[in-house]
Amino acid sequence: MPNAIELKGVTKRFGKQIAVDHLDLEVPEGTIYGFIGPNGSGKTTTIRMILRILQPDEGRVLVLGQAAGKVADDRLGYLPEERGLYKRMKVRDILKYYARLKGCYQCQPEIDYWLERLGATEWSKKRIDALSKGMAQKIQFIAAVVARPQLVILDEPFSGLDPVNMESLKAAVLTLRERGTTIVFSTHDMAMAEQMCDTIFMIFRGKKVLDGTLESIQAQYPADRARATWIGNGTPPRLSGVTDVEISGRVIEFRMLTPHDPNDYLRQLMQTHTVEGFHVIRPSLHDIFLRIARPDMYPIASDDNQERCP
Amino acid sequence: MRKILTIAAREYRAMVATKAFLISILMMPILMFGGLAAMSLLGSIGEVKERRIVIFGGDENPGIFAALREIAERENSQKREAQTNRTALAGLERDEFGAMPQELYLLEQGNGVLDDDRRAELSDQIRRGDLYAFVELPPRMITPEAELLKVPFYAQDSSLAEARRWLMQHLNRIVQESRLKLTFSDDEISRIERARAPIVVAGLGLVERKGGKIYSAEEKNEIVDIFLPMGLMMLMFMVIFMAAQPMLETVLEEKSQRIAEVLLGSVNPSQLMAGKLLGTVAGSLTVFAIYFAGSYVVAQQRGWTENLPLHLLPWFIMFQIFGVLFYASIFMAVGASVTQLKEAQSLLLPVWMVMMLPIFVWLLIIRDPLGPLATGMSFFPPSTSTTMILRLATNQTIPTWQLLASLLMLAVSTIAIVVVAGRIFRVGLLWQGNVPKLNQLWQWAWRG
Repeated sequence: MPNAIELKGVTKRFGKQIAVDHLDLEVPEGTIYGFIGPNGSGKTTTIRMILRILQPDEGRVLVLGQAAGKVADDRLGYLPEERGLYKRMKVRDILKYYARLKGCYQCQPEIDYWLERLGATEWSKKRIDALSKGMAQKIQFIAAVVARPQLVILDEPFSGLDPVNMESLKAAVLTLRERGTTIVFSTHDMAMAEQMCDTIFMIFRGKKVLDGTLESIQAQYPADRARATWIGNGTPPRLSGVTDVEISGRVIEFRMLTPHDPNDYLRQLMQTHTVEGFHVIRPSLHDIFLRIARPDMYPIASDDNQERCP
Repeated sequence: MRKILTIAAREYRAMVATKAFLISILMMPILMFGGLAAMSLLGSIGEVKERRIVIFGGDENPGIFAALREIAERENSQKREAQTNRTALAGLERDEFGAMPQELYLLEQGNGVLDDDRRAELSDQIRRGDLYAFVELPPRMITPEAELLKVPFYAQDSSLAEARRWLMQHLNRIVQESRLKLTFSDDEISRIERARAPIVVAGLGLVERKGGKIYSAEEKNEIVDIFLPMGLMMLMFMVIFMAAQPMLETVLEEKSQRIAEVLLGSVNPSQLMAGKLLGTVAGSLTVFAIYFAGSYVVAQQRGWTENLPLHLLPWFIMFQIFGVLFYASIFMAVGASVTQLKEAQSLLLPVWMVMMLPIFVWLLIIRDPLGPLATGMSFFPPSTSTTMILRLATNQTIPTWQLLASLLMLAVSTIAIVVVAGRIFRVGLLWQGNVPKLNQLWQWAWRG
């Protein structure tokens, strides 16, 4: 499958600060690509280079098969986080304006389609400042996709949406993928990234730290979290070699400091309690994100670092 | 090009198709010229005040008090009538702003000796508001040999008092006529007055030779000669200001709302700036067209069309376009460099000062349109547009080389400003953080 985006050894500096450091990235066409990273990690700079707002100092940026030049690409759509709309413009006018800036001058059917699809038709004559946050977010989404781009970059597209609107926007994103659009999806919502993305990419301090499918990423990290339930005795069990212990009723969740031997923890539990269930949990994207972004919160597991809980 | 036009169309609509635009179209002339109009209007509709004045020394100057009172009473009745019927004021003089006289003079003859005690007592009456002023006519004012006389006029605001001026004017005439009567016969007086008939030096334009015919010079209208240049200068200021100012707010909104990122994902910064400037120039020309059409209609109704300097139209439009591009670029660069309007204000203060410079010295310029101040300011690009139109609207012939050279200089500096502002705009638009320091702005301007 050809790539929609290819970054090879891309570096971007602002003065002495290196925002993006020799970054390599390949986003296959027609996929939903999760783009995660803590604030200030170089995410926005990378997006801006893909959008051709910024030029790299080193390396090569290929977007939809074309090297980054100084000319903006009409085949790209972009939704910035929460903002991006003129407050005093009417919905229909702004959609038309953004479509025209992408070279789409006959886009009325597309505007009508998306307004109806996202339940915003009756708001089409309203000014942006008269819309709720969720409705403005939907309009912004339409603005990003109205010119039928081949590649869409969505920065926190679900921010500020209630569950109903979130579901309709998720469905809209999936529709785009069905049409063959490549979607780069930048978010801090790890659960959403797990749920929606085919591939996940994480940037930290300007460098790539994760890149692959959720399964392949999870496989890189030890399954060091376990959940156990017991019956009978209501006193919580006391375990050694664990950390991050959470107890709720007769359920205990903990992180194993020696994850290669979960039987040891099961044995400890069985000595004092009647164990009903014992599950080793694979690390979530949220856990992996925290391990990378906050290594101080997640010390490296070793036998010397044992503690007794609770 | 189509994208630039799309941006220009949006900018134009954002500027023109708003209530704020309509309000400012109406408000700007009111703010600019309202001061003069208000003075005249207030002068016409204000409350007429009664001024009670006691005049001493009438016994020793027979006939003077009676003559003054007769004039005062005649004018008072005219002024009272004018409260309901303005035409009754036809015989009264007006001030320099065309305002009507506002004071009624109630003259009373003072009796007895005016010593220090009496003066103090009358002064107390003035302080209490029972009296407005008292006057001390010196003895024997009407003697043929009299030289310069000073008549004491006691009042709280004596130096500025309109009553003092009124009294001086009429007292002089009455006393001079009486002195003449003592020495000359009526026939002689009449000859003297004819001999002293005032001379008016009438201001004329120049005689013109066109197609073999010579056209005689026309008498100049002072109001046209003063207020027309000033009006054109203010119009130039307004059309530049009303177009450039919204640029600041638009760019600030685009930056703070991250609209700029969406736009720059579709067009490059030069296209974006070009579209914005194009839309701004179109908006500015619309403002001019509205004011020009309005002025033309008013002038036509009042029969003043011959006073409209239509020959200046092309020059006005050229200087306007460059002026708008010059200032709109600066405002855009400032808007891109800051994150809040407050921060922009401090950066724009020097720009404002320079922009308003011709307004501070317009009178000096029209008095000497070929002088060093006028010429110098014409070649200072930030003030070229307003100064040149002011000079062109005077009767003086501005040397063609100055006209062309100032326009060329303005055009070249406008291009330079657009390029520099474009560099600042490009970097500033994506800049998040503190307001850049001057050396940082310099770096942006230099390197982009």
